[in-house]
Amino acid sequence: MWLTINDKQIEANEGMSILNAALGAGIYIPHLCGHPDLEAVGGCRLCSVEIDGMEEAVPSCMIKVQEGMKVTVHGPKAERTRKTAMELILATHPADCTGCPKYGKCELQSMYQYLGVGPERWKKKSRTVPTDDSNPLIRHLFTRCVRCGRCVRACRELRGVKVLDFQRTQEGVRIGTGGNISLKEAGCKFCGACIEVCPTGSIMDALGQINEEASYGERVVPCKAACPAHTDIPRYLRYIKEGEYEKATAVIREKLPFPEALGCICNHVCETACKRNELGEPLSICKLKRAAASVHSDDWKKNRKIADSTGKKVAVIGAGPAGLTAAYYLAKKGHEVTVFEINEKAGGQCRYGIPSYRLPDEVMDREIDDILEVGVQLKVNTTAEAPEVLLKQGYDTVLIATGTHKGTLLPLEGNKLSGVILNTDFLKNARRNQIRNLGKKVMVLGGGNVAYDCARTALRLGAEEVHIACLESRDKMTAAAEEIQEGCDEGVILHSGHSFLRITGDTKVQGVELQKVEKFYFDENRKAVIELVEGSREIIPVDHVIFAVGQAPDETEKLGVELNHGFYVKVNSSFATNLPGVYGAGDVVTGTRSVIEAIAAGRQSAVEMDRYLGGDGDISEELLEKETADPFLGRTKDFGNLERLSPPLLDPQERKNSFDAVEQTFTCEEAKCEARRCLQCDLRLNVTNPKLWNEY
Amino acid sequence: MKQLQTDVIVVAAGLSGMAAGIAAAENGAKVMIFEKSNTTGGAANMGMGPLGVGSPIQKEHMISLTAGEAFRKHMYYTHYKVDARLVRDYYFKSGETIEWLMDMGVEFLGVQRAFNAPEATRAYSDGEFTWHVVKPEGGGAPGPRCATAMIKKMTERAKELEVELYMETPVARIIMEDGRAVGVIAKDPDGEEIEARAKAVILATGGFGDNPEMIKEQTGYEFGKTIFNFAIPGMKGDGIKMAWEAGAGHAPCTMELMYQLPDNMNHFILDGAFRQPCLWVNRNGNRFMPEDQIANTTFTGNAISSQPGYVAYSIFDSKLLKKYKKKGSDIMSHVHPHDLFDHFDDQWERDLADGYEPICQADTIEELAEKAGIDLEGLEKQIEEYNEMCEAGFDEIFEKDRAYMQPIEKGPFYCCRQNVGAYGTLGGVKINHKTQVLNEEAKVIPGLYCVGTDACNIFGDSYPFILSGNSMGFCLNSGRIAGENAAEEAVEY
Repeated sequence: MWLTINDKQIEANEGMSILNAALGAGIYIPHLCGHPDLEAVGGCRLCSVEIDGMEEAVPSCMIKVQEGMKVTVHGPKAERTRKTAMELILATHPADCTGCPKYGKCELQSMYQYLGVGPERWKKKSRTVPTDDSNPLIRHLFTRCVRCGRCVRACRELRGVKVLDFQRTQEGVRIGTGGNISLKEAGCKFCGACIEVCPTGSIMDALGQINEEASYGERVVPCKAACPAHTDIPRYLRYIKEGEYEKATAVIREKLPFPEALGCICNHVCETACKRNELGEPLSICKLKRAAASVHSDDWKKNRKIADSTGKKVAVIGAGPAGLTAAYYLAKKGHEVTVFEINEKAGGQCRYGIPSYRLPDEVMDREIDDILEVGVQLKVNTTAEAPEVLLKQGYDTVLIATGTHKGTLLPLEGNKLSGVILNTDFLKNARRNQIRNLGKKVMVLGGGNVAYDCARTALRLGAEEVHIACLESRDKMTAAAEEIQEGCDEGVILHSGHSFLRITGDTKVQGVELQKVEKFYFDENRKAVIELVEGSREIIPVDHVIFAVGQAPDETEKLGVELNHGFYVKVNSSFATNLPGVYGAGDVVTGTRSVIEAIAAGRQSAVEMDRYLGGDGDISEELLEKETADPFLGRTKDFGNLERLSPPLLDPQERKNSFDAVEQTFTCEEAKCEARRCLQCDLRLNVTNPKLWNEY
Repeated sequence: MKQLQTDVIVVAAGLSGMAAGIAAAENGAKVMIFEKSNTTGGAANMGMGPLGVGSPIQKEHMISLTAGEAFRKHMYYTHYKVDARLVRDYYFKSGETIEWLMDMGVEFLGVQRAFNAPEATRAYSDGEFTWHVVKPEGGGAPGPRCATAMIKKMTERAKELEVELYMETPVARIIMEDGRAVGVIAKDPDGEEIEARAKAVILATGGFGDNPEMIKEQTGYEFGKTIFNFAIPGMKGDGIKMAWEAGAGHAPCTMELMYQLPDNMNHFILDGAFRQPCLWVNRNGNRFMPEDQIANTTFTGNAISSQPGYVAYSIFDSKLLKKYKKKGSDIMSHVHPHDLFDHFDDQWERDLADGYEPICQADTIEELAEKAGIDLEGLEKQIEEYNEMCEAGFDEIFEKDRAYMQPIEKGPFYCCRQNVGAYGTLGGVKINHKTQVLNEEAKVIPGLYCVGTDACNIFGDSYPFILSGNSMGFCLNSGRIAGENAAEEAVEY
């Protein structure tokens, strides 16, 4: 239907309000209590207009359009109403904006810019309300509240959580919970919709949540931002909550080809970033991913795209997570990819560095098969030629992704004795079933996850007594807390906060001399400083010592590319080495990091290499049609106190005798329950941003 | 990465950035402005109006100050420590800039001065009528924020000229090629990077008032300890850092000093009530300036910054409070409400009850000194001397106006600590009179301009309150100068 606004003919749909019809046609009408996602209530009166045939100015948000209607936005009656309305709002709002965190991003500020700050005809009513920082994640600064009620409508109608409402207090009407109880007690789901719709700085993210460096989207959904591959975590958790594992896997697979492997061993920085930490414990994101991936559905392959052949050839050196990931995406872009792997199986550290009780062989085999399926050629037991030679042989580009496979031997007395083993050799040989006669007593030196991998593997290979010694105190160790606990349950004896002085023995290891550490820190030159406790020396009798104090790339000097810090391949921000066409990614560049970082680097290097080969570098894919998440959350009993679930573990006494997977997968019910705890922070990004006057 | 191309890029849409963008577009350039917030105007949204000399409004009001006279006043005030050519170009442009704004539809209420000196010091520190206060859109008396009406008109003008405004799109760095600024890298609201290229880049990001680390590093002040400046959210020093990174020379940064109470906006009544020519002492209990000068916020701020602990104490007694309540305050300011003392008891009681730290009340001087942390012996001696002088009717020490010689004798006594404050930061990026950025060797970095607060190196050590409206005045005029020069460089006819 047609109507006239400000002498301009515009088209509108039946049932639309005049306000929405005008805004849709690019005609600005000021409005504050109205919000595109919320029901209009006609509260603020800023949207007043005059309509032919009506005596008084009316709020345009409350009047439906009619055929042939004649509307004037800036008529004198409407302007008078609007002016008075604005004056009343400003009379109760603090006059100084300089200290307000919303400065520059405030709808009210934009509004007074448009309408002007009128004369102060009304007695200024100072209604100082103390700032309430007592709730997690959400900050209330109600001195600035203009009582537009958007937060109330968002909470009640949009989300169905029904926590916020207008409350009568001695000082007047205020926004709050009934009985002024905490948000958690009131049943808040901490979705942040109230923050999103607040036009002023009255409801804001808590101070700790504001990172100036990050973009808005990254700040609002920190788990996704923290994940090096930027997996859409809230989206797949929603599917898990519904029991739709196939869809959840497809979402994960949009960003990486190893969902189940990561579900087993990811260092899950996403959980550290999870906003639910503020309410207690984070979501068990990693283990939920494993649960979803464990159904081994091939549904996601339906939408997998493989481009036509480009005729370009790519060589990838090293079939670890970085190399395989890059190979996968490059093959999907139509390039002919060959992966050279020096060992008998692909997988890199995931295969030879991480014991199978954490990451079973079948998991790796399955996910590597999916990668090979798109046409990646894998050559195992093959030492690749140097990149320059590969280029001459007809490869158009080469990726170095050989990881860090050489263990570090500390310059320690006795480090040449028989019975001294390096972490990398030990774990690899254990995987290959090549370790015989490990002896009875083993000492692992080092305090990271690899030290635990070595210690727990040693137990499984029949060692009777396994020690770990490290400089750091238990709370400063780099090993994950659960690793330390699981090791302890299996009987690993931990000597944290100890320095290793020497390995004793004549030709064969007989023991390790330890001394207690008083203080251990890094000085301003990043040099380690160790202060020891006098008279605390002791010798622990052992017959094998495993060094697990770091690892480095092997034989990178033969690659013919520029190196960093002695061993590491040097690349620029585009993953390119100094040799044109030769790229580097993963641990061989960065030093030992996490699997997910290697995968992310594999993706990014694939983008750069595709561009180098003349492609567009677009490896993004949509394996599942984008759905719009239901904005309605409803109430959940005791939501704020729901406790984190953990998958069951095998009994320590039983598990330490075999390489069976220690951790079990969540059952479907457990997974649904756990996923239900997600705050769904990403729903905030679906809330429409009202357009300000300067955008019309 | 999104790729964009234009003639002139302006970084930030505050007052100086808008002026630069409009000026460049008026001179034929295609312009893009990148702004990290979603509102135009930046800090100017809190202001009241700019300086102008020789404007039609001044002529109408028979104010005879000329641009040359303003230039000389400015140069004597700053002891020629600043770029005379830039100062000259600024003042000579400023009157016409007012006309330029009026042509856009900006209305001015008239012209004011920020400060009128007491008679005894009028010869040294009186304010000139240079402050063009913007008429609030709805009419009525002007107050803080009334400059938004100007920002609105400028925004409309920019849109009319098809200046492209990219809101919530912060710029991360300048793209330099062969020593020349050729564009910027920005990030759109979704976090996607934008590479925007242009023939000239103008930086206008408003200083670093909201960056405590940078304040400490550049000026030595500690936010919340030795200084309580306006920290307008977003003023992080982005432009200054970008310019330095691109090789710009460092000009010394200063704080635009004044004085105020911590968290003053929530204690605004007290902020005004204690700005009276009562007894002002430092931590040792000694007077440090004639109190009839305390309306000169620049000089008072400077004076407090030279006292032990960077603090001063303003003290009056019950008799004086009674007088203020009955007859109103001795000194009025155009910033604070005129009926301050009608609300005094309310705010005082509430703030005392809340334990607002800068204030205290005491029945005896001894108790007052103890509570406020002033040296008792010094204070007692000072009050004795002061009261004697009040009785004699003459301030032998500072010759304070005798009308204000009112003794401190009847308890309870009221005391409020005053801290060093500041409007914001000033300067940082070395520029020439064309607002081109210079390197450390004072050679022009081609294609790069810097304007407004980031480049305001012309105030010397103190805000030139004698020519009020100077902060906004410099922003507008340096912005225009940059816009015109950048357009000339960018547009091929």
